[in-house]
Amino acid sequence: MKNKQHGRRVAIVGVGYSQVARNSGMSERLHAAQAATAALNDAGLKASDIDGVSTWGGDATDFAWQMGFNPLTWHLNVGVSPAFIQPAMHAAMAVATGQAETVMAFRLMMQQPSGAALAAGGAALGVLSVVDTAYQHPYGVYSPTQWAGLMMQRYMYDSDSTEEHFARFAEIQRSYALMHDDALQKAPLSAQDYLNSQYVSKPLRLLDCDYPCDSGSAVIFTTEERARDLKQPAVFVEASAVSAIHDMNFEVMPDMSVTSPKHCADTLWARTDLKPTDVSTAHLYDGFSVITFQWLEALGLCPPGQAGPFIAEGNTMLGGKVPTNTDGGAINVGRRHGANFCIEAVRQLRGQCGDRQVANAEVSVWANAVGPFSGAMVLTK
Amino acid sequence: MNQAAAPQVLDDLCTTFFYEGSQVRELRILRCQNCGFYIHLPRPICRNCQSFDLKGEVVSGKATLYTYTVATKPFHPFFVDRVPYIVATVALAEQPKLHLISNLVGIDEANVKIGMDLEVDFEVLSDTLTIPVFRAAGSLGTSSTTSSPASSSASAGTSKS
Repeated sequence: MKNKQHGRRVAIVGVGYSQVARNSGMSERLHAAQAATAALNDAGLKASDIDGVSTWGGDATDFAWQMGFNPLTWHLNVGVSPAFIQPAMHAAMAVATGQAETVMAFRLMMQQPSGAALAAGGAALGVLSVVDTAYQHPYGVYSPTQWAGLMMQRYMYDSDSTEEHFARFAEIQRSYALMHDDALQKAPLSAQDYLNSQYVSKPLRLLDCDYPCDSGSAVIFTTEERARDLKQPAVFVEASAVSAIHDMNFEVMPDMSVTSPKHCADTLWARTDLKPTDVSTAHLYDGFSVITFQWLEALGLCPPGQAGPFIAEGNTMLGGKVPTNTDGGAINVGRRHGANFCIEAVRQLRGQCGDRQVANAEVSVWANAVGPFSGAMVLTK
Repeated sequence: MNQAAAPQVLDDLCTTFFYEGSQVRELRILRCQNCGFYIHLPRPICRNCQSFDLKGEVVSGKATLYTYTVATKPFHPFFVDRVPYIVATVALAEQPKLHLISNLVGIDEANVKIGMDLEVDFEVLSDTLTIPVFRAAGSLGTSSTTSSPASSSASAGTSKS
């Protein structure tokens, strides 16, 4: 296949997590160190092989120093962006352009205050703009669950998806989690269990939300040439794209059903000769479950407005048209903020997923975020 | 009774005109004086023509419902006694896709329909903060006796003209 990316061909050669847990009691630096060590061991690389670092969460130079990485020729801290895709895509670009040879991309995500703590007044969520919160807080708008409720309501109005389809989605995601040792949610869950569960911001239920935890994730990018000599089967970056169509204010977006992922996917597919029909596995952000629904449609993996029926018919299950979120998604593995989708895509293409392995997986797409901004990457064997 | 203070809002060029307006029961939206484009959320420049000549102008208060959610969990002490309440994205009549975050008041959740016509009302949250809220068009002063938890709590404190 013809690679349309510019510069050197880039491979992913190592992936790793920290000891992800609810309120882990471990520092951000410890999570970073554990994830970095796991990724180095996975790749068969030494700390001194790393000469570039990108991160969202913490600081790239801080992590590099504590790990004993080489003097860096390139480093970057990102934030307020489409989750892990941003440090990942920048890492790939740094390798492609020769700014660095071997780059580690991090996402550190420490658990946010609980709803109960917020209601008690002892905690606050971070805000981007105090001007914008002046138009949110007086209306009781504080939590991302509320824009997700607004989005899910409008999405169901504009599409063929129903609450029963979201119930099936929750059930299918959990069935994958039961086959995944890294999952935090391991009790069986039925569609009826979902329908019986509580609302947070109706129609959004607690089981539509990713699971809060402390997590560290690391992924190593290097050149094709270097990758050929390393421990793992190389996985290649075929194409990637990010998109921004609005500022951070999800609640006032002009269209909440067809959002940034559509723009991002159109850019992504223009950058490769591969097509949606070539996709073996999909790994689509589920910070709120409606996001996965939007990505299935945006990427052309199902027709517009049809994600709900598509999921309910079993097309995202093992043996279905496009096995999706085979790690169980962040709803089950915890909030790793997009990195889990990259890591699971890599493991599928390497053939390392055990009971949840998709036979002959050759092309995987992973995607992050929704609404104002998003990003996605196509990986190949 | 919950004694938690109401949220406070920043005093800023992009907020003061709005809340000074609601204090006198006017809904004001920032408008470009060069091209006539309404800008919400307010910004220091017009994204349509890049003019800096902007001013808060009174609008009709007519809107339609773009989407809504029933907040069943509070995320701030002031709202502990107010859940469930309805958060809405309303489309103001003045310009396509001119969306505003607000609350729907005086209506049962069962009667809320995307696309329904709305009109502005005002709710006093504190001595210094009155906010524009929305109700079903034509319902002003007629629907405050509905009994659902959502409508009764959402309409609590709504001032009547």
